[in-house]
Amino acid sequence: MGLGSFHFDPYSPAIDADPFPTYQRLRDEFPCYWSEEAQMWVLSRYSDIVTAGQDWQTYSSASGNLMTELPGRAGATLGSSDPPKHDRLRGLIQHAFMKRNLLALEEPIRAVAQEVFGQLRGIDEFDFKDVSSQFTVKVLMAALGLPMGADALVPEQEVRDNAVLMVQSDARTRAKGPEHIAAYNWMQEYASKVIAMRRAEPKNDLISHFALAEIDGDRLDDREVLLTTTTLIMAGVESLGGFMMMMAYNLATYAEARRAVVANPALLPDAVEESLRFNTSAQRFRRRLMKDVTLHGQTMKEGDFVCLAYGSGNRDERQYPNPDVYDIARKPRGHLGFGGGVHACLGTAIARLAVKIAFEEFHKVVPDYTRVADQLPWMPSSTFRSPLVLQLKVQ
Amino acid sequence: MANITFIEASGQSTTLNLPDGWSLMQGATANGVEGIIGECGGSCACATCHCYVDDFLASVLPAPAQGELDMLDNVTAERRPNSRLACQIKASAALEGGVVTLPECQE
Repeated sequence: MGLGSFHFDPYSPAIDADPFPTYQRLRDEFPCYWSEEAQMWVLSRYSDIVTAGQDWQTYSSASGNLMTELPGRAGATLGSSDPPKHDRLRGLIQHAFMKRNLLALEEPIRAVAQEVFGQLRGIDEFDFKDVSSQFTVKVLMAALGLPMGADALVPEQEVRDNAVLMVQSDARTRAKGPEHIAAYNWMQEYASKVIAMRRAEPKNDLISHFALAEIDGDRLDDREVLLTTTTLIMAGVESLGGFMMMMAYNLATYAEARRAVVANPALLPDAVEESLRFNTSAQRFRRRLMKDVTLHGQTMKEGDFVCLAYGSGNRDERQYPNPDVYDIARKPRGHLGFGGGVHACLGTAIARLAVKIAFEEFHKVVPDYTRVADQLPWMPSSTFRSPLVLQLKVQ
Repeated sequence: MANITFIEASGQSTTLNLPDGWSLMQGATANGVEGIIGECGGSCACATCHCYVDDFLASVLPAPAQGELDMLDNVTAERRPNSRLACQIKASAALEGGVVTLPECQE
């Protein structure tokens, strides 16, 4: 096949900034594409991604699900294991994340939102990240039962900073750099202190339950407890924080949508769904083939890695008409903003709830705002996409 | 591929030709069937893709796994002997012509 000068390099800063034109060419011309730079296949059409996402027997997660995997992590977490082990781990914690079991968190989340966004009263210009990161860490700490207030082991901001750093990768070496590994190690050490604390004195929280859980009479493996807890903190803080940034970016960019949700906050859930479709922060995850698969005339071999480009599937015109238009009236059901299949995001309900409350409270203080800069600094990551800074000006 | 018919509580009927391996939940939400929510994305964690399968499907489908049975305890509408979660049913030629009826509410 004549690829000409076409490349898709998920480590390139240009892809961090704007992957969408390249996704379009992938879908139209190279729907089953071998990326030399990433050393993996890339699936970019909605229906191919759905098919792969549902077929965990063929597209395994057990060799890792992050595009650039962290050392020692594959196989020990929910996202990086296959059924039946995956279902066993997930069964222990998913009840805590079900919508009806989150009702008790609604009031504390609103209190956090009022406190955090209340700081913006009287301010003309601010970086949305400063408020969204405070909000995210506090919500996650409450949801997971991490020690807070007088019990806190470290300042909240350190948790957030390390969670953000550990998902990044180095554009030059196409690997994790020493600073990313250091952040990962920091998070494991933090998680291990929390686990020890909860094992010594269990509380009625998720980490206590998980740390003490037994399956068929066996305690969970220490490594599973540690790395799953580490991942819950990372995924919670980074994914929720990244998605909040993308939601604010969209509402700051598309004035009509912003005015609509400010005038009628009942439309916020629709704006959340459209943001998950339009430019979800979780752009790409990977799988590994357990057998040969032939697709669009290409044969992918057993053992090859495959990238599922959710962010591209969500812009596939074969599924969503006018996909490059941000339209909060679209109601894009079946989108891939949370992935799909057995590995669909565990935090869908809490993410929807927290983001809705955050923007309700944010808009009470700052109902009208625009972006200060046209060009933004984007996070260097082969998996996630969000701006590092989002300076907003109050109108 | 398999043709599967979804009958909503309103009586609205939609027949979809679903690729092998797609769950009935994924097929329904990607194709505008309103009566299935699938809030958790298909990981058997929310009980909002509850459906009633017809006698034919009941006879050809593998029995629900323990995780699905546990989650069926959480459905909002009446649970019946033919209650299943659509995210746990994968389309294949063996299901050709199957019919699922959707409850009045999912949450």
